[in-house]
Amino acid sequence: MKIHIHYRFLLILLMMVSYVVHAQDAEKNTLLLGLKYNNHNNQEQYLHAQVKSKINGKFQMIEGIKLKCYISDETVDANLIGQAITNGKGEATILIPASVQDVWKSSPSQTFIITSGKTIEYDASRSDLTITKAKIKIDTAEGRIINANILALVDSVWTPVKDADMFVGVKRLGGNLNVNETETYPIDSLGAVAAEFKLEAIPGDKNGNIVLIAGVYENDSYGTVTAEMSVPWGEKTVYVSNYDERSLFARRGKSPLWLELMAYSIVAGVWGVLIYLIIQIRKIIKLGVE
Amino acid sequence: MKTNDNSRRAFLAAGVLGGLAVAGCKSNPFTQDVSQDVKPSGKLVKLLSVDGEIIEVDEAFLKPVPDLPPVSNDIARVGIDGKKFVMVIDLSRCKSVKKCQSACDHMHHIHPGQNWIKVYPMQDAEHTAPYWQPTTCMHCDEPPCVKVCPVDATFKRKDGIVLIDSDRCVGCRFCMAACPYSTRVFNWEDPGLDKTIADQPYSCESSVPQKKGTVGKCDFCPDMVRQGELPHCVSACPNGVFFFGDMLEDAVTNGAETFRFSELIRDKAGYRLMEDLGTKPSVYYLPPVNRNFPYESIEQEGEDKSHH
Amino acid sequence: MEKVARQHIIEDLLPQKFGKQGRLWVASLIILCLIGLFAYIRQLSKGLVVTSMRDYVSWGIYISNFVFFVAISLVGSLITAVLRLSDVNWSTPLTRIAEIIAVSAITFAGLIIVVDMGRPDRFYNLFIHGRLQSPIVWDVIVITTYLIISCLLLYFPLLPDLKIMMEFKEKSNTFLLKIYRFMGNYWKNKPEQFRISEKAINILSITIIPVAFSIHTVTSWLFATTYRPGWDSTNFGAYFISGAFLVGAGGVVVAMYVFRTHYKLEKYIKDEHFDKMGKVLVMLALLYLYFNVNEFLVPAFKMKKPEKEHLIDLFTGEFAPIFWFAILTSMILPIIILLFKKGRKPKAAFVAGILVVIGSWFKRYIIVTPTLLHPFLPMRDVPANYRHYYPSWEEWAIAIGSLAGALLVITIFARIFPIIPIHETITETEEHENTHSL
Repeated sequence: MKIHIHYRFLLILLMMVSYVVHAQDAEKNTLLLGLKYNNHNNQEQYLHAQVKSKINGKFQMIEGIKLKCYISDETVDANLIGQAITNGKGEATILIPASVQDVWKSSPSQTFIITSGKTIEYDASRSDLTITKAKIKIDTAEGRIINANILALVDSVWTPVKDADMFVGVKRLGGNLNVNETETYPIDSLGAVAAEFKLEAIPGDKNGNIVLIAGVYENDSYGTVTAEMSVPWGEKTVYVSNYDERSLFARRGKSPLWLELMAYSIVAGVWGVLIYLIIQIRKIIKLGVE
Repeated sequence: MKTNDNSRRAFLAAGVLGGLAVAGCKSNPFTQDVSQDVKPSGKLVKLLSVDGEIIEVDEAFLKPVPDLPPVSNDIARVGIDGKKFVMVIDLSRCKSVKKCQSACDHMHHIHPGQNWIKVYPMQDAEHTAPYWQPTTCMHCDEPPCVKVCPVDATFKRKDGIVLIDSDRCVGCRFCMAACPYSTRVFNWEDPGLDKTIADQPYSCESSVPQKKGTVGKCDFCPDMVRQGELPHCVSACPNGVFFFGDMLEDAVTNGAETFRFSELIRDKAGYRLMEDLGTKPSVYYLPPVNRNFPYESIEQEGEDKSHH
Repeated sequence: MEKVARQHIIEDLLPQKFGKQGRLWVASLIILCLIGLFAYIRQLSKGLVVTSMRDYVSWGIYISNFVFFVAISLVGSLITAVLRLSDVNWSTPLTRIAEIIAVSAITFAGLIIVVDMGRPDRFYNLFIHGRLQSPIVWDVIVITTYLIISCLLLYFPLLPDLKIMMEFKEKSNTFLLKIYRFMGNYWKNKPEQFRISEKAINILSITIIPVAFSIHTVTSWLFATTYRPGWDSTNFGAYFISGAFLVGAGGVVVAMYVFRTHYKLEKYIKDEHFDKMGKVLVMLALLYLYFNVNEFLVPAFKMKKPEKEHLIDLFTGEFAPIFWFAILTSMILPIIILLFKKGRKPKAAFVAGILVVIGSWFKRYIIVTPTLLHPFLPMRDVPANYRHYYPSWEEWAIAIGSLAGALLVITIFARIFPIIPIHETITETEEHENTHSL
């Protein structure tokens, strides 16, 4: 009997060991690191990383991967831009900090390197991205024309770019609205585009301001570069929500007056009677004690 | 001199990041921004501009928005000022891929098997065309669920979103009976979350973590909106079925395409579900005409065929 | 002569010790309660997952049991208030039976609602965050009010009886005497005390009627304020009230028979009482049948799409056996039995009463569950077991335990207090003799 149990125990142990060995032998999944460069208003620069892996034949975004991001050379510790852990969508963003100023200034084009360390499930992985520094200028002209041009740094001179498509639109929540039927504008020989603002009665803020945005998106050379400008071309929008109104779906204390009146008067009436009756009991008690 | 210079730059940067153009403009740059009611945190971050200059930006105005702690319960109950959120679901693009559902389940850590987003096979009558109809919470303007909640655990905000406070819900399930869209689910047992998630303080805006004995439902992801991002279902859909936006901006977007809400609804004859009940949903549907995909039926376990 | 009669009545009506049968009855009720308690402890630790309720059927037999309890509690107002105010004297021996049924049923209605809550630990939220807009808050208010009125209505007529019981020490024990003294030591049979007490009972009899109507109307509104087919009905308040009076009266007939045979009260709960209660029951069953016809025939005539699936399921589908069983046992059969004079004899009336009570319990189940299985949008993207509802053993144990608990409260009450008001019976006998001698 005892031996029997031992055998069984050994068998389980053996299976566990073989499983662990097997798991170690099994090929680890490879992480695919994607890297994008963003330059917002020519001032704020950040990198956007995305981590995915092919698991059971399907690409999945991988959460909780530790990423290290470097500029120019990953072997130099001073070139570390930042570290991040991917979120539930396998994404992470890293702002380019002031600490890498010297490296950044050293060249008109820059390479960013992103690495992930070796983990139990995944092998170490690496990816890089090289961009040329670029910036966008946006301005308006008579007749609601939006002028925008994009300049790239060539040998320390900001030079007009000629090989990109530019988007010009109005900034909205989560996306940008075209200002007319044209989706994107090819850049002319001077590196500029002109877009006519045709949106009628577009709501702005309470002063009628809207934010125009011009940008080059996910360009092979420049990444995503955008610039914004506020103009008073919108309709004045004043939103009065019914949040503070009394209604059946309002919060506590905001019920309709008719309901409060009815409920409280009924409750007061009935409980008035009950209190009266309890006073009567006291009277009976008094009579009994006398 | 240097400090002076820095503070000027910081001001400029903050303005720019809030939506101000560099070129001369006097108007207040913050009013159009989602985070318009965001107060400076006083914590400055040093960043590098494209010209190689060092700029200082208040953490609260950073874009992309850093992982700020979730807003307080009091703020979450009032909502984002000056917004009125709306969703448009284009039925002609849906083929029941359900990426919306899995992204939603994943990001909200919903109990396995339950779903906040459901994709219904619909066929209104024998000879009418079948189509897929994804449903989120309708975020009704006159929500029947909020009407019946005895403890203010589910509430309607200024920005139109209906949320649930799982720290207050008593689990009476009256809201589930009241909702005609069957959008609410109940945590019949412990949702089985990782300890790191289960130990977080509950946030009405992210609806995480779900708690045993309370009701959960689609929340329109106001936590994502505060970060300037779209709800998870919108960004997860490969076919661009979901459009999200601010009614007061008259625009909806699926991330790739942006339309004027009024034009989209007018041109494609948008409608809302069960209009006759008077619930006034915030979710609009575009009819399944000129479809991107043919309809292919997908059977489910335990499904009663007579229902559709 | 008078003295002898008084002595006789008191001896007949004083509470009696449990016999062998009584002890067995109490023991089995306690066991059922304990099983229910055990099931509830399981539910507390694991969550409502131990029930068979899921996202579609989010209310199950707990809620139908709640509605049943609220319904049966309405009888307190029927017997004590409606009949008293309409000068119906024959109901006097039944008032205390009706009142204790009301008090115990409404207490368990409150308890079963707590059982149904996902977070009973947050019950206090109803008081600190209560929203006046919610019918649940209305229900909490009216049920509390009704419980207090019912307790008062039980208490005032008990005062003279407490004095009588204190006089008959030999029939009691020290523990019971302590209770009597605590509750009514101050009652001295003074005319002024009688005057105040009688006035109070009259006020209560009037107050209890609107409150009783409120508890069940508001309970019906928990359903009728939603959009769901089968619940979305303007008929619901009246439908529920009439059904409640029916099941309450049925419950009283059953209790009458049990107390009469067990305590040998044939002199007080007479054949005449069964005859009259039988007639009341027929009237109430016909009334409830009328509202049922309204409730089902009208939507069935139109057959609107969402209603259709629900109605077909009730008439000929999955729920047809329970539906027709409930209609037959709660209305049709009792009407047939009680229409005959022989059917209004105690034993037959008792059978009719049992049928009414059982049928009514299933009727509540039919009102709650089938509707939830027919949502506006088809059931989709849920596990297969979400699409049906067969109550789990925990649900049955808790439901049966709560019913046993209500019966236990009534039984213990009858052990401690006279189930037929002694003082009122004496005065009525005296008045009766006086009018005869005149």
